Amino acid sequence: MQPSGSAQPDKVVHEDVSVKWALWAGLFYLCVFGVFGVITAIKFMVPDLFWSIDYMSWSRIRPVHVQGMIFGWLVPCDIALFYYMIPRLCGVKLHSEKVGIVATILWTAGVLLATFCILNPVETTNLLWMTKGKEYEEYPPVANAMMFVAWALIVYNILATFAKRRYKQMYAALWYAMGCLLWTAFVFVIGNWPGQLIASSTGWDASFKGMNDANINWFYGHSLVGLIATPAGLAVAYYFLPKAANAPLYSHKLSLIGFWTLGAIYIWNGAHHMIYGPIPYWLQTTATIFSFLLFIPVFAVITNFFGTIRGEWHQLRTNVALKFIMAGTVFYLLVCIQGPTQALRALNAITHFTDWVIGHAHMALFGTFTFFAYAGVYYAIPRVYKKPLYSEGMAEWHFWLSFIGFILFSVALWVGGFMQGMQWQDPDHYSFVQTVTFMKPFWHVRAAGGVMMLIGMFLFTFNIYKTATVPAPVDTESNPALTDASGVAAAS
Amino acid sequence: MTCLGIALIALGFFIWKQVPEKSAFWTSAGIWLVFTIGLIFTLLMPSFNNNWSYASADDLGHYHVQYTDNPKHPGVWGYTPSQEHGRLIYQREGCVYCHTQQVRPLEGEMRLYSVGTSLAIPADEREYVYDTPHFLGTRRIGPDLSRVGGKYSNDWHYSHFYYPRQMVPESIMPAFTWLFVQKGDAPPVPTQDCKDLVAYVQTLGFGRQIYDGTTHQWRSWLKPEDQQGSQERSETAVNRVVPIKNGKLWLAHPVHGGDQVSPTNLVPPSQ
Repeated sequence: MQPSGSAQPDKVVHEDVSVKWALWAGLFYLCVFGVFGVITAIKFMVPDLFWSIDYMSWSRIRPVHVQGMIFGWLVPCDIALFYYMIPRLCGVKLHSEKVGIVATILWTAGVLLATFCILNPVETTNLLWMTKGKEYEEYPPVANAMMFVAWALIVYNILATFAKRRYKQMYAALWYAMGCLLWTAFVFVIGNWPGQLIASSTGWDASFKGMNDANINWFYGHSLVGLIATPAGLAVAYYFLPKAANAPLYSHKLSLIGFWTLGAIYIWNGAHHMIYGPIPYWLQTTATIFSFLLFIPVFAVITNFFGTIRGEWHQLRTNVALKFIMAGTVFYLLVCIQGPTQALRALNAITHFTDWVIGHAHMALFGTFTFFAYAGVYYAIPRVYKKPLYSEGMAEWHFWLSFIGFILFSVALWVGGFMQGMQWQDPDHYSFVQTVTFMKPFWHVRAAGGVMMLIGMFLFTFNIYKTATVPAPVDTESNPALTDASGVAAAS
Repeated sequence: MTCLGIALIALGFFIWKQVPEKSAFWTSAGIWLVFTIGLIFTLLMPSFNNNWSYASADDLGHYHVQYTDNPKHPGVWGYTPSQEHGRLIYQREGCVYCHTQQVRPLEGEMRLYSVGTSLAIPADEREYVYDTPHFLGTRRIGPDLSRVGGKYSNDWHYSHFYYPRQMVPESIMPAFTWLFVQKGDAPPVPTQDCKDLVAYVQTLGFGRQIYDGTTHQWRSWLKPEDQQGSQERSETAVNRVVPIKNGKLWLAHPVHGGDQVSPTNLVPPSQ
């Protein structure tokens, strides 16, 4: 079944209450953690900003920004879009709006508590309440528990909706959504296993120390992008691209190949974060090989998306949702060419530990998956509130600020990071601190790009807020354009 | 290999024919299966490596100083209680986001982190067996720290934590003033947290040995004369700092912890 191809009359009235709750949680955190991100970038030029305020120290707000953007913004927003598209793809109502609301409250509270614990203004070293100290695993055990319960509720709610579905055939977006729900549950438990807490309280610890700890950390760090953000983002894109373009999906079989190879290959990649590190050579090489195998799922997705938009490119001029999806698709292609090549030893020797990687990570999580989420929101929210988008112009500004800001941000980091990496291999001419000084102009450009991205986020949030609150014009209240499959531009 | 390849393709074709498109149950089962296979090969199998656990690694004494004074761990252990607490401070302050703890086996990198004529040797998995969490790191906004133990004096570290730019003018490291107590015009005094943190930082790579092929003996990678020269230079740098008052707090002030580390008392305990 293709979402736009079937013209079955949709008799189900969707309440979409859970969509709204998860969406507003996501939008709130987008602005909050966006501000943290820009402060992080500015501190590169002004290291004494907030001097002597412990909880505004660079090294405490940096994980707050990264984790917050993933678990505070991206996951709730993708879940909101799941709540929108899964009942529609299944032809039934969401199993329980109440469970959806409770899950969002619990998840959001978990993120808030975790943020407080990482900022740690009370200076605690209690392992239950402090950061776990590993990249992407910072959220403390108490917050992990809350978020895991919330996730279990989300999985229950959506699987129960699946179980009642009226359409037998499962569309690609549904597999990806299921993959995201189940993989996240597995990955979250393994990655956030409180090994340090258990070690310090029981002494039963040899297996969670040293390189085992590092290997689990990078299994988790990579799966966070590959098995949580990727299936969630692709589920959203697989649904909203054909919807927004009002065109059938290019190939069903191709999406099948893409999904199963993604699941089978992504999990093997963790060790490519430790190339040339103190791990066995075979493990590094395995990770490199599997990094290259990722070309299969990536090109399946890219081919499918470009095939779908073929002949419909002119719509990009007026349709902001499509603009975001196609820009995201191009960034997805670029990030997935970068990823495997970075796993080559020769290139990794230069780029590892530099700002190149920061640019790369932002292309995946901002350039691709946040763009997909933006597109989904622009398409779904006018339909959820049954009103046209408040301002198309503001949405255009949002797109161009995000797009150009991101290009500035990432190109500065790639060029600067690569050159710094080269300088590190030339200790006769550069001391370490000279390479830091060399990076400063690039950090200025990065911060400027970051500010543009942040302004875009504010415009976006304001636009969606106004869409939700401003009363609908009388003549568009029953506008059929809002309920059929045409794009955002047609809706207003 | 050819047979294996053909078998794999045949297997792939067989699986392809079975792909569940319409069953939510079999889709979930497949999702679980591909996950578990990856888990076994990338997490479980590598963990059987002897050198990844202090319980099974050989020759640990050459890779990590063995302390005997940790009451929680009878026998020998990699950290004293003070150093273990220092690790918690390192964890809380997020040092790992800017500093790696691994020198890669690349010539430029080994020379970049060398001290005098002592070449910084690459990381070995046995150096980390006592570490939870691991602090390998992914970003070098600041330099690698895995060979920094013994390179600077304690007072250099205190002064540097108090205000990094008084020791390294181009540094962009945050000032960790909350690790110090300052009353009136008296100079800043490091708290116990700060002393533990420095105690931990001084263990990094310290006492890590290499096998010397010419003398057929294990020796510390950091030669005593390089260590002494480096520490003397860092003491000189501390004494050169000119105090600057900024409102109620000192912006710059040399910090003395009273636990002056001289090259002689930095010798690791008996191996």
